[in-house]
Amino acid sequence: MPVVTFLPSYRKVEVERGTTVLEAAQKANLNLNVVCGGQGKCGKCVIYRQSGETEFDREKYALFFTPEELERGASLACKTLVLGDLYVEIPESTLIQEQKILMESKAADVPVLPSVTKYYVEMSPPTLEDPSPDLTRLLWRIEKQGGPSVRKIFAPLPILRELSRTLRENNWMVTATVAIVPGGYRLIHIEGGDTQARLYGAAVDLGTTTIVVTVRSLIDGAILAVASNYNRQIGTGEDILSRVNYARKSGLARLQQLAAESINRALHSACNMAKIDMDDIFELEIAGNTVMTHLLLGIDPEYMIAEPYVPVVRRSIYTTAEHLSLDAHRTAGVYFFPSVSNFIGGDVVGDILTCGMGEREDVSLLVDMGTNFEVVLGNKDWMFSCAGAAGPALEGAEVLFGMRANPGAIEKVRIETRPFQVHYETINQIKPRGICGSGMIDLLAELLRSCFIDRTGRLDITSSNPRIRQGEYYPEFVVVPKDDTEIGKDIVITENDIQNLIMSKAAILAACYTLMDAAGINKDDIGMIYLAGAFGNYLNRLNAITIGLIPEVPVDRIETIGNGALAGANIALINRDRRNALDTIAHEIAYIELNADPTFMDRYTSSCFLPHTDLSLFPTVEKMLAECRLRKEE
Amino acid sequence: MTWSGEIDRVHIGATKQEGGTRSRVCTVGGAKNLPFLEGASEMPLIALEICDDTGSWSPIVLAYTGDVTRDAGEWAKKAEKEFGADLVRLHLTSTRKRGFSDVRGVRTTIEAVLQGTGLPLIIEGSNEPSVDSEVFSACGEAAAGERALLGTAEADRYRSVAAAAVAFGHGVIAQSPIDINLAKQLNILLHEIGMPHDRIVIDPFTGALGYGFEYSYSVMERIRTAALKGDTDLAMPMISAAADSLNIKEVREAPQEVRDETAVMWEFCAAFSAAVAGAEIVCVRHPRTLEKLKKGFAHLAGEG
Repeated sequence: MPVVTFLPSYRKVEVERGTTVLEAAQKANLNLNVVCGGQGKCGKCVIYRQSGETEFDREKYALFFTPEELERGASLACKTLVLGDLYVEIPESTLIQEQKILMESKAADVPVLPSVTKYYVEMSPPTLEDPSPDLTRLLWRIEKQGGPSVRKIFAPLPILRELSRTLRENNWMVTATVAIVPGGYRLIHIEGGDTQARLYGAAVDLGTTTIVVTVRSLIDGAILAVASNYNRQIGTGEDILSRVNYARKSGLARLQQLAAESINRALHSACNMAKIDMDDIFELEIAGNTVMTHLLLGIDPEYMIAEPYVPVVRRSIYTTAEHLSLDAHRTAGVYFFPSVSNFIGGDVVGDILTCGMGEREDVSLLVDMGTNFEVVLGNKDWMFSCAGAAGPALEGAEVLFGMRANPGAIEKVRIETRPFQVHYETINQIKPRGICGSGMIDLLAELLRSCFIDRTGRLDITSSNPRIRQGEYYPEFVVVPKDDTEIGKDIVITENDIQNLIMSKAAILAACYTLMDAAGINKDDIGMIYLAGAFGNYLNRLNAITIGLIPEVPVDRIETIGNGALAGANIALINRDRRNALDTIAHEIAYIELNADPTFMDRYTSSCFLPHTDLSLFPTVEKMLAECRLRKEE
Repeated sequence: MTWSGEIDRVHIGATKQEGGTRSRVCTVGGAKNLPFLEGASEMPLIALEICDDTGSWSPIVLAYTGDVTRDAGEWAKKAEKEFGADLVRLHLTSTRKRGFSDVRGVRTTIEAVLQGTGLPLIIEGSNEPSVDSEVFSACGEAAAGERALLGTAEADRYRSVAAAAVAFGHGVIAQSPIDINLAKQLNILLHEIGMPHDRIVIDPFTGALGYGFEYSYSVMERIRTAALKGDTDLAMPMISAAADSLNIKEVREAPQEVRDETAVMWEFCAAFSAAVAGAEIVCVRHPRTLEKLKKGFAHLAGEG
């Protein structure tokens, strides 16, 4: 069999002839960027062949490369077949980088009140005078130490089968683990000696693309490690719809397995970092969208993608790690966040828990931004929600130089007109490689302020500024000239990119107004706007308003909550009262179907303008733009 | 019913006193109510469309109009003297040909039309970004002082035509694809680069009858009611031209003996309905349609 050697790491792997380089790389545990799931559509898995025989259709995929790159042996890993021993170079830009993931402090000051508790107990052995059964002796001691009362703890059969031996082999000194499950208290584990200090839990954000895991101590709530991993289901399809279709073609078991493997990989890295044993994880909280939740549970999601769009279950679900092949203690409880509808899943319920909007009197607007977005409006008494597709532009796809929030991504932009200068900052302060979502929002706002684009986002090609030029297909603005970039090409934003961004933001803004109108409130009634999602942490709030991504409110009423699903899972992990409230929150949220709302299209079209067709909704932006125009005319 | 808004008045054409050479000025707009009701504006105006290159023009119109179609100046004269048009809309179809470069010819044509008629003029320029700037500036200059209406501004190419209109004191036609929000956005864009509201005429785009006309009709209604309710970004007069009416299958395949009549009726129905929906200017190509419309409008206004 051919041997593929990957440079610069010199990792070697043996594969069948005809395997793709992508599969070989995965076998070698190299995580390549495959946004499209290996369909040759995204052009992100670029590799360079050094020597050896491969098969690759250069003409078909020519659009992804410059002639020089092809000359140097560039090809797409997913569409390159290994025909013999091979040396391939994997440029750094092709490897998946750890994304910037912040643990929100919001989740940190929650009282530690976990659902699982360990009790170290020492019992006296039974005697003729005190012949009470083994279980009674154990539970009685637990009660004595402040645990639940004897009658309330359920002990399952597998524990009973081990009990007598475990107690006697350990000299009647054991640690019992008691979990709160939907039916009450359950004795889930018993082991010799005092292991009370080793009680851990994991909070899991189960995303369509990315999985993030936090491992925490359930004694003091300390965060021990955070790890992430791509959702390995990506190989079966990039978006939710293709996953469901894959499941329908009898791939449900495979998808369940891939989801579990993805979580396990992240768990492994987190536990390694934290230097803990995975068997000491006794609780997992999983917040994921409705489809991902179904898939990890191995429940058929088929009926969710066609009218009338019904999920099998929307309430919270409790099961154990062994049923899902998750690498934690086999009896560890796995708690799944409840959903509201097909499109408002446990991840959004996590956002709601994180921002605390369901506990307050004043009205909050929550926006979770991604390829699919979700919006929730309400307070402790009522909530409306809706969801829709915004397209991947704000996450860096469908934009020529778009990228995820990885090192080298431009995340902040400021344009000065006199003298003309483009200031920017990149993640990790290295030379720029592309632009991520927050950078694009800044760029759009700054181009508008400097009057380089009009309110439809079209570049003023009559401008004398040399940074504005006619590109190969569209007019474009040069953000960074090639000499200052890492990639040796001018980093530009094209008019087409701008259109994609505007369509994305318009869908989100139109959804916000749909809910506000349904509730009969205007922007001044909104107490807080919470932004969740991949780039929520780094968003320039004023710029988000300037382009009309969200309704105009004073910037101090906008708070970013970052990865709300992860933060929510963390809160539920360490505080059982908050976890218990989830079903009630989810149950009381009304869902508005945008497709069934005839006014949505109108709102969308009027939002396809910067910031909106009706400037009276954006009084501050109106003033600012008028000043900008005046300055330009001077 | 009283509305809070009023449609802006737009003047087209300038007489000698105003620095032009037109024999009269057309004023459209001013409506405070829906068309043909009390407080509505004057009677809708009818523009006869002519062109400088008849290659793509309806053979029915060419045959009926006769030899003058070879000379835009003569055609314009006949539109005024014989057919009784209120305005002349000149389509510079020569600029739509591939490899067009004869900007001088455009000037000559405009000058000839201005010579041929004293009616206010609507000038439709090129439709190709690479020549737009040159063509519109030639149009603007050739008709300088005449307060013409230049077309057509669209969201993705409005700068050239607006620049010429601003520089030479003309109005612009703002065309958007049958959508009230897009119509409003284009008006805002034009306004933001210096076009006053009272020099903009909205073209909501009109599909031929049976080919989407009902969408155009309801968008015109929505634009007008929004304007009357006080939306100043939509309070401009509207122009409608169901230009495809003469090229549709029903007309092309009509039996020889009724083809002319079919063409006229098809054009008439769309133009007449557009006026009912709120259009202040309707454009037609067949001279007989024009005649029919005049009668129809008079009838509707209780004068016929």
